[in-house]
This record gives sequence, C-alpha cells and structure tokens, in this order.
Amino acid sequence: MTSPILRIEDVHKSYGSLHVLKGVSLTVQPREVVVLVGPSGSGKSTLLRCINLLNPPTKGRIWLEDQEITAPGVNQDRVRQRIGMVFQEFNLFTHLTALGNVMIGLIKVRKMRKNEARDLAMFELERVGLADRAHYYPAQLSGGQKQRVAIARALGMDPHVMLFDEPTSALDPELTGEVLAVMQKLAGEGMTMIVVSHEMGFARQVANRVVFMEGGVVVEEGTPQHMFEQPTHERTRAFLRNIMQ
Amino acid sequence: MMGLFQDLLTTFNFIVQGLWVTISVTAVALTVGFTIGVVMAIARVYGHPALQTAVSAYSVVIRAVPVIVIIFILFFVISRYVNLSPFWAGALALGFASGAYQTEIFRGAIQAVQSGQMIAARAIGMSRLQAIQSIVLPQALRLALPAWGNEATLVLKDSTLVFAVGVPEILRRAQQVSARTFEPFLAFGVALLLYLALTLITTQALQWIERRYRLQV
Ligand SMILES: Nc1ncnc2c1ncn2[C@@H]1O[C@H](COP(=O)(O)OP(=O)(O)O)[C@@H](O)[C@H]1O
Ligand SMILES: [Mg+2]
Repeated sequence: MTSPILRIEDVHKSYGSLHVLKGVSLTVQPREVVVLVGPSGSGKSTLLRCINLLNPPTKGRIWLEDQEITAPGVNQDRVRQRIGMVFQEFNLFTHLTALGNVMIGLIKVRKMRKNEARDLAMFELERVGLADRAHYYPAQLSGGQKQRVAIARALGMDPHVMLFDEPTSALDPELTGEVLAVMQKLAGEGMTMIVVSHEMGFARQVANRVVFMEGGVVVEEGTPQHMFEQPTHERTRAFLRNIMQ
Repeated sequence: MMGLFQDLLTTFNFIVQGLWVTISVTAVALTVGFTIGVVMAIARVYGHPALQTAVSAYSVVIRAVPVIVIIFILFFVISRYVNLSPFWAGALALGFASGAYQTEIFRGAIQAVQSGQMIAARAIGMSRLQAIQSIVLPQALRLALPAWGNEATLVLKDSTLVFAVGVPEILRRAQQVSARTFEPFLAFGVALLLYLALTLITTQALQWIERRYRLQV
C-alpha cells in the first residue's frame, strides 16, 4: 500500500455567509485519475481552488505527499508549482506566444536559463502535439490548441498532481477529442489527475474513480463501473442518468 | 526679401535652442509621471485598503489643482528647502501632475486585464509580485498605450508652463525674440511650427509602438 499523494480532510470553504464546501474529504493515490462530477454550483471548482490554495479552505486540512499544505507558514507559491491547473477558459497569457506561455514559468519560477527553458518548453509543446504552433499567439490558435498549450504550460512546472476544471466545456464539440486524447495520454504516463468533467466517455475509459458532489459534500464515490451501473444513492443515479441523456 | 529671410533665420536659430529644453522638460515629466503612475496604479489595485485610499487622495487632489500652481509651489516654496533649479522645479511639478493622470490610465488598464491572467500566473507558482511584473503589467502597458500617447502630447504642450519660472524653453525664447525684434508673427510662428513638429513626431512614434506591440485578442 503506497501512501496517498493527496489527502483532503474535512475541508470547508465559505465566501462570506455562503457556505460552499461543507466538509469534503478525499484521498488520491499516486497515478490515480479521479473524475469529479456534480451539478453546477455544487462546489467542484471551489474544491480544486482549495487544493492548490488559490482560495485556501476556511477549515480543514490538506496534505500533498507528506507535507500539510494548509499548515501556517507554508510557502503557497511552492505548493502551486507542484500542482498543475488547467482552466475551462484556458487563461493563456495573451501577450506571449505558445512557446512564451510555457517558458515564462520555467524562467520566472523554476529560474531556468533562457536556452534551457526554450528546450524544455518545446519538449512540452511536442508532448501535446503543438511544436509546430510554438510561435503562434493565443489569438491565432483554436480552442483545442489553446487548451493543449495550457496543459503544456502546467506540465512545464513538473507538477506532481494535475487539476482540470472542465477543460473541454468551452470547446466546440469537434475540438474536445484532441484535448481528451492528451489527457488520456498523460494518465497513461502515470500522471495523478483530478478532472472535473462531464465527459462520461473519458470517465469510463480513463478514470479509476468517479466522485459525485452535490451541495458542497461528496455524496458518493466509486469505480466508474459502480457509479454508472449500480450507484448506491438515488441522487447519484438521477444525476448521472441526466447527463448521459 | 533677403532681410526677411535673415530675420527668420536669426529668429529660428534663437528659438530652436529652446527645443532641447522643451524636449528635456517633457521627457523628465513623462518619466517621473510614468514611474508614479505605474507604482500608484499597482498600489491602487493590489495594495492594502489604506494605501488605496492614500493613492486616490493624491490623484484627486493633484488633478483638482492647476498645473501652474504645482509648479509655483515647487519653485517658490519647496525650493527654499531643497536646492531646485527652475528647470527641475518645473519638470518635477509637471511629472507629479502627470503622475496623477497616469495613475488613472494605468489603473484602468490593469483592471482591464482579465482576472484569469492573474489566476493562471499564480497557478504556475508565481508570487503576486511576479505575476504583476511578468503577466499583468506587460498586458496593461499595451492596453494603456493609446491613452498614454494622448497624455504624452498633453504634457508636451503643458511643458510651456515652465516658462513662468523662467526656464528658456521654446515659448519663453519666442517671447524674448518678439520683445526684441517687434516681430511677434515671426517669433510665435516659429514656436507654433516647432510644437507642431514635436507633437506630430511624438504621435507618429507612439502609433508605431502601438502597432508593434498591439495585443492580439
Ligand atoms: N469567489 C467567489 N465568491 C463568492 N462566491 C463564490 C465564489 N466562487 C464560487 N462561489 C459560489 O460558490 C458556489 C459553488 O461554486 P463552484 O465551486 O464554482 O461550483 P461548480 O464548479 O461545482 O459549478 C456557487 O454558488 C458560486 O456562486
Ligand atoms: Mg465550476
């Protein structure tokens, strides 16, 4: 039994009087792919932002490998470097080329020399199949290409865990495939991933575990097979039936 | 005919010596204003609430006061305590004034940068300061360019105000020639043409920069 790469214990998050996460606990093993589903507003994005401390929890504790990252005095920038994040709206840096987007973190955060950073950035772009678009600006890329650059940018930081927040929701249907293919490849290489997505095909094929959240709590979790075929809770059944039409 | 040409040449030669002074005053004022503007805009957007209030207060007060008053305060009041030449009193005063306007320009530009840019920068492990430096500012400066170009031409024209404390810039020299030769048409005509040339060159240069660094959205 390996030790978990990520351990979330009774995490709460409030925005003012709005209690969004009401005690979420989740443990993720190395190389595991967890797909997180749930209705809009159930707190999925909030949970991801708690995990990489973009919005630290108001209560509860989180461990990344053997470090408690919610402990006082932790260098949060260093934690974020080890947790990659991919956003629904891509959020590529608009003033930089695809290559520049991947390089900037290598230079500013990982303190690499320019040449070294360029080589590694090219390698990451190759990994997502976009070496030939290295010198394009985000505005010149399709949505699918933008998202793949965003993945390359996150990978450049050499993260131990990757978080994906609805990575294909902003894409035209014909462009989701190329992004999901990259994610599947990453999973195959052993990347630990938490993916908020309603792409059930991806969940079936790639996920080790599906977690269903509603109203700020985890209602049920299990293997894709369990969740899709005989979920214990009626809410899970209703939700999953609904998103599979 | 020869006489008029001679007059024109003498007048021009005298006034054009003020060109460099005008350019220097403008350059100093714009540089000071830019520094104040960028720092204060960052403080205004990302700073502690107390700092934000202080910056707004600076900006409101300075913008409410005529620039010439600020020049006089520096030249007649402050220069009693600090050794300030007329040139520096004038140029700094213009810089402080422009700083207030530039604060507003850069504040607007920073706020126009999409919030996702900062979030994505933080997500790859950048500190707030790094994110501001490497991601937000480069975009904000590009967004600010049109408004900044406008401010630059305003400062160029306001630079004539240092004339009031005796700095020998274009207008001051034009006035001196005209008082000596009794040919105001020639003197102020030359001044007008010099300002026109300066403004046109500045605008063209800024437009070139703007095209060169335009953000693709
Ligand atoms: N920064 C914020 N400030 C205030 N409320 C927020 C903020 N972010 C999210 N919320 C609220 O938290 C709830 C959960 O949001 P979110 O985590 O985005 O849900 P999901 O990703 O599952 O759709 C929503 O009601 C949303 O309005
Ligand atoms: Mg969400």
